[in-house]
Amino acid sequence: MRYVKLPEENFEEFFNSLKKWGIVYAPVKKENIYSFQKVQNVSEIALDYTRTMLPPKKFFVRPKDEMLKLKEGHWEEANGTEPIVLFGVHSCDIHGLEILDKVYLSDPVDPYYKKRRENSIIIGISCMPDEYCFCKSLGTDFAMHGFDLFLHELPDGWLVRVGSVKGHEIAWGTEELFEELTEEDMKNFREFEEKRANSFQKHLNKEGLEDMLDLAYNSPVWKKYERICLGCGNCNMVCPTCRCYEVCDLWMNAYEAVRVRRYDSCFMESHGLVAGGHNFRPTRLDRFRHRYYCKSYFDPSAGFNCVGCGRCDEFCPAKIEHVKVLDEVREGLQ
Amino acid sequence: MSFQTHDARILEVKELTSREKLFTLRFLDPEINRKFKYKPGQFVVVDIRGFGEFPISLCSTPTREGYFQLCVRRVGRMTKYMHNLKEGDIVGIRGPYGNGFPMEKMEGSTLILVAGGLGMAPLRSVLWYALDSGKYEKIYLFYGTKAYEDILFRDEIIHLLKHGEDMNCHVKLAYEVESPSCIYLEKGYSPRVCKGVVTDLFRGESFDVNNTYALICGPPVMYKFVIKELLDRKLSPGRIYMTLERRMRCGVGKCGHCIVGTSTSIKYVCKDGPVFTYWDALSTRGLI
Ligand SMILES: Cc1cc2nc3c(=O)[nH]c(=O)nc-3n(C[C@H](O)[C@H](O)[C@H](O)COP(=O)(O)OP(=O)(O)OC[C@H]3O[C@@H](n4cnc5c(N)ncnc54)[C@H](O)[C@@H]3O)c2cc1C
Ligand code: SF4
Ligand code: SF4
Ligand code: FES
Repeated sequence: MRYVKLPEENFEEFFNSLKKWGIVYAPVKKENIYSFQKVQNVSEIALDYTRTMLPPKKFFVRPKDEMLKLKEGHWEEANGTEPIVLFGVHSCDIHGLEILDKVYLSDPVDPYYKKRRENSIIIGISCMPDEYCFCKSLGTDFAMHGFDLFLHELPDGWLVRVGSVKGHEIAWGTEELFEELTEEDMKNFREFEEKRANSFQKHLNKEGLEDMLDLAYNSPVWKKYERICLGCGNCNMVCPTCRCYEVCDLWMNAYEAVRVRRYDSCFMESHGLVAGGHNFRPTRLDRFRHRYYCKSYFDPSAGFNCVGCGRCDEFCPAKIEHVKVLDEVREGLQ
Repeated sequence: MSFQTHDARILEVKELTSREKLFTLRFLDPEINRKFKYKPGQFVVVDIRGFGEFPISLCSTPTREGYFQLCVRRVGRMTKYMHNLKEGDIVGIRGPYGNGFPMEKMEGSTLILVAGGLGMAPLRSVLWYALDSGKYEKIYLFYGTKAYEDILFRDEIIHLLKHGEDMNCHVKLAYEVESPSCIYLEKGYSPRVCKGVVTDLFRGESFDVNNTYALICGPPVMYKFVIKELLDRKLSPGRIYMTLERRMRCGVGKCGHCIVGTSTSIKYVCKDGPVFTYWDALSTRGLI
């Protein structure tokens, strides 16, 4: 990895230089909600944001996505992809994208996802946890790969980690904006990281989590939460690793149809419905529990299916807390 | 494996019952046709442009090349549209997907096929594969159906009731709804045809459990009872294969619909299955 420094006074120029790499999206604050939006000026960006409502997955697996267009009886690719720059992605979300990569880029490769990933530049930014974050417990609080550049806050600028060839190219093109790092910068970087590590309020006990959960299949805790949960599926929509989708064909007019993919949620009754009206997850209990099992599955090559971003807590209308549910299930076993 | 859909022409449409039709298809591109190799138990995703996609088991056998067959039950929007298609019409096909039955591993053994209703479709592929290849000790087919009218591939089943023994193929049929046709069948082929459920067909049969595999496909309720019957006879869970159904959209492990299991074992029915052993069911909750 290459480390350089971007002094504060060069930040704006650096940001503006990114526009030649693609359309720049960055976190923007609207009322109390942050979201990734098209951005022209540095002043529009909320650099110290906590989390956006929809994670960056929305650029690669879109909430509603036209894949194919039917023209004279044949499918054509619906939309091209433009190069984009995602500016200000947090470490947990970078890990989230890597989990999606595992799924969408494994054989057979999802062509839509792949094209968009290849056409995107990811620029990470450091953050301070709030009361919902528990990425540290899952080891997703620091990204070692999955980004082109990563900006770490320093008192007088940014420590920049260059994480890919594309990242090198970007830095190369604006070489005059960067400086070598000093001992002082390294000290400040370590201090920031230390302060950050000590700021987490939420911790997930992941010791033997998969086995613990498996044993607790019949735990009364699931039943307790089944009654509180509204089954709205918000937690699925906002989760950076949830990626169930539905597909349907829609007619635009008598001659043209589109094949559309859209987010689906395992909280919907139709999610497990098959021919004959048989449902493999007929009750809300089945569906609530399923989500926790899916999120807590540990893949040796990709880790847990949860990156601890805290979105499902912040955006749950029933105020259900992910870590609290898991803790209660664990307590119920003892 | 590919995500790509290829055009296939419907060569023939045959009405099997009032709800099921058999479609015989061939890819337009001879190259694709030549490359299309599949195993019994695998499925394809049918793409009806402008209407959608749905998964269907291959019910023909790879031993008969140049075409493939799908048995489609009319249950909803897409399958209804499929039923309206005629000879010469074109649909998109992608696949084959899924793992299929381990036919080679089972060579030299006795196969017990246990089918319930539409479960006959994927098992027909196994049945004809086994008959064509001649590499299996003995083949049993236990087929449970509602009524005479519902018997899928009725001509073939009756043919095998009549001549199956010459091919080491032992067919038994259980029906639930009495009718003159059933009673006629029962008279002709007693005791191989009887009123009852598919597990009744096990009565009086004994197998060498060390050289037998059971292959099951049917409605979800059937599995528990059939598996109990097999375990009672000391057939090892590793010798019990079943093919499962889940809601499937992508068929290739992307859309998430077919995920089953818990934190210690998550399986995709579309790519880890749809064929699983009973060991898999014991270690993956929610499989059956
Ligand atoms: C591996 C596999 C093999 C199959 N093999 C066959 C076969 O050989 N013959 C056959 O007739 N059917 C088969 N099916 C079932 C078939 O896919 C559904 O009947 C079909 O998708 C229903 O589509 P529809 O639009 O007509 O129904 P819809 O109007 O969409 O719904 C009717 C019913 O079918 C269920 N359903 C809808 N989509 C699916 C889906 N993708 N997967 C499962 N159930 C669904 C619905 O929940 C509902 O209960 C198979 C399913 C799977 C998963
Ligand atoms: S489960 Fe919740 S905390 Fe974990 S990644 Fe998904 S939204 Fe974030
Ligand atoms: S967001 Fe909360 S209420 Fe809605 S489905 Fe998820 S857990 Fe239930
Ligand atoms: S059918 Fe889409 S993941 Fe299995």
